[in-house]
Amino acid sequence: MNKKIYISLIVTILTSSVFGQFVGKDPLSISLYYMQKTEIDSAKKYIDIAVTDDALKSSAKTWYYRGYIYKDLYKQREKSNKVSPLRLISIESFKHMLTLDGKDEFKESTNKILKYEASTLYNDAARMLKIETHELAKENYELFRSTMLLIDPNSDFVARDVKFKLALASMLNRPSGTSQGLDSAQMVQVKSLYLEVIALDANNPGANYNLAILYYNEAADIINNMDYDMDIMKLNEVQDYCIEIFLEGLPYMKKAYELQYKRRETLVGLSNIYYGLNDMEKSNLYKKELEQLDSE
Amino acid sequence: MKKIAIILISLLILNSGFKIDVDTNSKMKAIFIMNFTKLIEWPASYREGNFVVGVVGESPLYKELTKMAKTKKVANQSLEIQKFSSVQDIGKCHILFVSSEKSEDLSSVVSKVKPNSTLIITAKQGLVEKGAGINFIVKNNRQKFELNKQNVEKYKLKVSSNLEALAFTVK
Repeated sequence: MNKKIYISLIVTILTSSVFGQFVGKDPLSISLYYMQKTEIDSAKKYIDIAVTDDALKSSAKTWYYRGYIYKDLYKQREKSNKVSPLRLISIESFKHMLTLDGKDEFKESTNKILKYEASTLYNDAARMLKIETHELAKENYELFRSTMLLIDPNSDFVARDVKFKLALASMLNRPSGTSQGLDSAQMVQVKSLYLEVIALDANNPGANYNLAILYYNEAADIINNMDYDMDIMKLNEVQDYCIEIFLEGLPYMKKAYELQYKRRETLVGLSNIYYGLNDMEKSNLYKKELEQLDSE
Repeated sequence: MKKIAIILISLLILNSGFKIDVDTNSKMKAIFIMNFTKLIEWPASYREGNFVVGVVGESPLYKELTKMAKTKKVANQSLEIQKFSSVQDIGKCHILFVSSEKSEDLSSVVSKVKPNSTLIITAKQGLVEKGAGINFIVKNNRQKFELNKQNVEKYKLKVSSNLEALAFTVK
């Protein structure tokens, strides 16, 4: 009897122990075992071994579970980290998995997770739209795009691109609302963002309006900073340069006016630009229209 | 998600503003005028005391010249900007800018300043033939100036050859 009890005890220990569980098992199975037991760190340890294992690294299943485990890790540990490395590993794993999953066995589930991860990237990009973190916001937005393309290579981003670029440009353009103004590098950056928006949506009123103002302010700033002692030769050079800038801004303000965007502001804009162009007749024309509008 | 939408919308409604405090046209004119003080020579008796620039009639240039006078001098003379609301009020000045609204009164202005050494500046087409020494014009959106050497020199002012070279036209 004692011998029977002893044998059954040994068997129980062997079968229930880790050692017993994993005899002859591969790292993927071990990882899945820990995953079921929600022992995520152990699951991670074995899945990382699995993806380097010659017998497992070409299996879609291995990469799927790596993506899955890292997604769980991200949710548990790095949800508030807007540049989470765990999330990136998860996405990269799914990306690799998609190249191996010929039968689309994991496609539906993967798309669901990728969609979730893409949405977190987009949200983090929006949250990082601040002067100090805007470069990371751009990176996150690009990652959002590339993740969405994994789900659907024909994804249409025009509306979102416009929205994101406009928000980024507005954020970077903020100093112009103060006396500080933009430095030349910021000016180039903001200008190119508005131009990118206009390339995507020529009738975007905000981009047209703000770009026109940017041009106007650039020229007005130069004129404002001109020294009264500047000689006439130099004055003519600066004048040529500023007129070109006013002329560059004019079509965008005209477009904003055509689109009936912020009627009052665009009338002020057109009047100011024509004034800068020394075209008093046209400047006064828009000024009168503005007065008319104000009297209504 | 709602919070994200709010972040984006709040950024999208931000618009940049115009620097409306800059009078681009007047600033250019003021720089031209500063140059004229260097390229025209006044008689010795005009080289002491304040250097007076008068503006007759309403013009945004008055504000710009006043701003300039706060920081600039003509040689060792302090700049003084005076505003005259009518031709009768015009006093002795080195330079007199006749605003567009008073351009019809140019012949009266010419009579009024006759005994003085005053450079008359206008900003309306054709006035350089009607008594102005210098007239601001716009060519291809650029501010330029016409010079009527005779109208300048009859007030005992000397025009430098550089000024002639820089003028759009010289009469």
